[in-house]
Amino acid sequence: MVVALGSFGILFACLLFMYAALRSQAVAWPPPGLPELPLFLPLVNTGVIAGSSAMFVLALDALEGGRRSRAVGFIASTFALGCVFVGLQLLLWSRLADAGITMRTGALGTVVYVLTALHALHVVGGILALAYWLAFGLRDVLASAIGGAVRGGSRGGLAAHSTMLRLCGMYWHFVGVVWVVMFVTMFLL
Amino acid sequence: MSSVMTKADVEAAQHLQHAHVEPKDFLRRYVFSIDHKYIAKQFLWAGLIFLLVGGILAMLIRWQWAFPMKPVPGVGKMLFPHTGGVITPPAYNSIFTMHGLIMIFFAITPIMIGCFGNFCIPLMIGARDMAFPRLNMYSFWVFLLSQMLVTASFFVELGAAAAGWTTYPPLSTNVGTPGLGQSLVVLALFVTGIASIMGAINYITTVIRFRAPGMTWMRMPATVWGLWLTSILNALFVPVLGSAGLMLLFDRHFGTQFFVTGAAGGIGDPILFQHLFWIFGHPEVYILILPIWGFVIDFMSFFARKPAYWYKGSVFAMIAVTVLSAVVYGHHMFVTGMSPLLGQAFMLLTLVISVPAEVLFLNWLHTMWKGSIRLTVPMLFALGTVFVFGLGGLTGIYLGTISTDLYLHDTMWVVGHFHLTMASAAFLGSFAALYFWFPKMFGRQMNQKLGNVHFWFSAIGVTAVFCGQLLAGYNGQQRRLYDPFQYTYIAHLRGLNQLTSYFAFALMLGQLAFIVNFFHAIFAGKKAEKNAWDVGTLEWTHCDSPPVYHNFDDIPTVLRGPHEYNHPEVLEKLGKDWIGQAERMPGETGEVIVAAAE
Repeated sequence: MVVALGSFGILFACLLFMYAALRSQAVAWPPPGLPELPLFLPLVNTGVIAGSSAMFVLALDALEGGRRSRAVGFIASTFALGCVFVGLQLLLWSRLADAGITMRTGALGTVVYVLTALHALHVVGGILALAYWLAFGLRDVLASAIGGAVRGGSRGGLAAHSTMLRLCGMYWHFVGVVWVVMFVTMFLL
Repeated sequence: MSSVMTKADVEAAQHLQHAHVEPKDFLRRYVFSIDHKYIAKQFLWAGLIFLLVGGILAMLIRWQWAFPMKPVPGVGKMLFPHTGGVITPPAYNSIFTMHGLIMIFFAITPIMIGCFGNFCIPLMIGARDMAFPRLNMYSFWVFLLSQMLVTASFFVELGAAAAGWTTYPPLSTNVGTPGLGQSLVVLALFVTGIASIMGAINYITTVIRFRAPGMTWMRMPATVWGLWLTSILNALFVPVLGSAGLMLLFDRHFGTQFFVTGAAGGIGDPILFQHLFWIFGHPEVYILILPIWGFVIDFMSFFARKPAYWYKGSVFAMIAVTVLSAVVYGHHMFVTGMSPLLGQAFMLLTLVISVPAEVLFLNWLHTMWKGSIRLTVPMLFALGTVFVFGLGGLTGIYLGTISTDLYLHDTMWVVGHFHLTMASAAFLGSFAALYFWFPKMFGRQMNQKLGNVHFWFSAIGVTAVFCGQLLAGYNGQQRRLYDPFQYTYIAHLRGLNQLTSYFAFALMLGQLAFIVNFFHAIFAGKKAEKNAWDVGTLEWTHCDSPPVYHNFDDIPTVLRGPHEYNHPEVLEKLGKDWIGQAERMPGETGEVIVAAAE
């Protein structure tokens, strides 16, 4: 996973490099005639994704302490916050379009849309992985609540999938960090 | 670095790699296989087919340079029906573009990294399979998807990609190369990149985690070192190409302006693409040569029946090249108007990277020096590799030096240079590997005589063809010209180009010997012995030919390095000139494994 994240990291580093190069060549930033980028929505979203990472940490802690249902709850909230993040990004894009910034409006639109869209795609990938794990997790918790064994319980249930969750967590923190870097460079500076 | 392993460690290693049960149903066994040996063969077939396609494209280019405006004999009427077999300029652009891309990404890469990476790494380090067998399977199928995209691009309107293998904008934007073909090929590069990264993650992890007990880093065969370092470069630099390709696709289809500028209307910067392309592109040539270096280091020792000279030096040289390869890419861009200071820095770094390459070269020569050389087919191909790599390396110095590069840039000299260093070395080196591991892969022997014929046609062929290109380039012939001889200052090079083309046709003809040999050996070859070459690496000493599904019944415990030949003590006690990596000398205990020689 570390190696894979290295590769993902290089991908985003190159995209940010393109952004830096295009911005440094521009006469003014944002280019003349275009409004400033909104700050409020991305700021909220930074909070959302930071919160989701925190939930993930709590979930792993809970799992280590053997409190399974707590862990599942925290992961569910990570999942929900991830969905909120993607929703807010969609809202952000529509606000930008209303303000006259589209993918075809020069360097600014090019950079903002491509970078945020690729990032959102990675977040969606993370959400799907979490959903997959949640399916196992919920089944496990329900099964222990009922007290009976469920089909597939022989595969180890949560214990076997804790490694997967740990790896998911590395990925999740990674996309979170990428977003913070994007937020700081694109919206704040 | 002395390490003492306990019995518990050995048991832990056995436990980590539980043996997979061989699947019985057809699909899991022969199509969606997770067995690294079978995936290696899938990569081999996919690569060999595209090697043939790339070779045919090369023949078309050579025909055009020898006899421009004349109809191509044989297949011409079928390929270019509207002109009666004459190659048209747009078709020509497509041909040389696709030749380059297909050879690099869809022929050499799958054969060398996909096939031998998969086949050799687990067997040589004493593992039962890759660390992530299912990821390995996905890697092949994603790769196959990219090959399909490339194939499809030939059949869309306006034809396949035609912006050169480097795909520079603005030529590669919608303005320069309209049509779906270019987009499909760029997409195929992105997809094949994903496959490469999947493979790389797998190889890196497997080598770190799955080495047999006692297989320390400095006891690994050089082949594994080469493949491992290549994987690191793949994991780090293929995403750079991926990002460049993505941005190009966005520019082509979604109206973004990363690289669009000037008359096309936009404020992007096409030079930025060149930066991204070469940040990837220079490590890429080392991606293609590092495994070959590994093969050659091993084969020199195996067939000179001597220990590899300064094995550690060779390993550190390869590591040095891996690191340096990331910081020399600017030498591809000397003529883009970069700051002279920056240019000089890149020139210096470029010349520095030739030092470790020379260390390797001298080590190969030293290994052969006073050895009992066995001129087997793999050894012949390895020697050919050393020869063309040497020629290619020397001609590169002129290109790495700014003052000479300004004149040689974009001439046939460049084409001759990179074909010798990278293409010929990878071509001959891959065949060396194929002849060497063929008995282990298929359990049968290839014919030595046909192999010799194949070698001499190939070695003389590539040397003559690419030296001809060097000469043409030195005389000022630009690369990629549709009809070079319409320019009076190089019109007199027609004879040279024709001679070069005849050598190229002979080179192609010689490949028939391989095709015949390959298919004959698969279906009717002599059964191969377990250790066909009397060498000491694990795949020959501990696996049948071909190996069983789980490779090793018991994971062997490694006692020594891979290059123990003509050791006096072994000669005296065992009466043979080699000893296996996990073979015990009389009196040597295997209970506690001590890495004494480190």
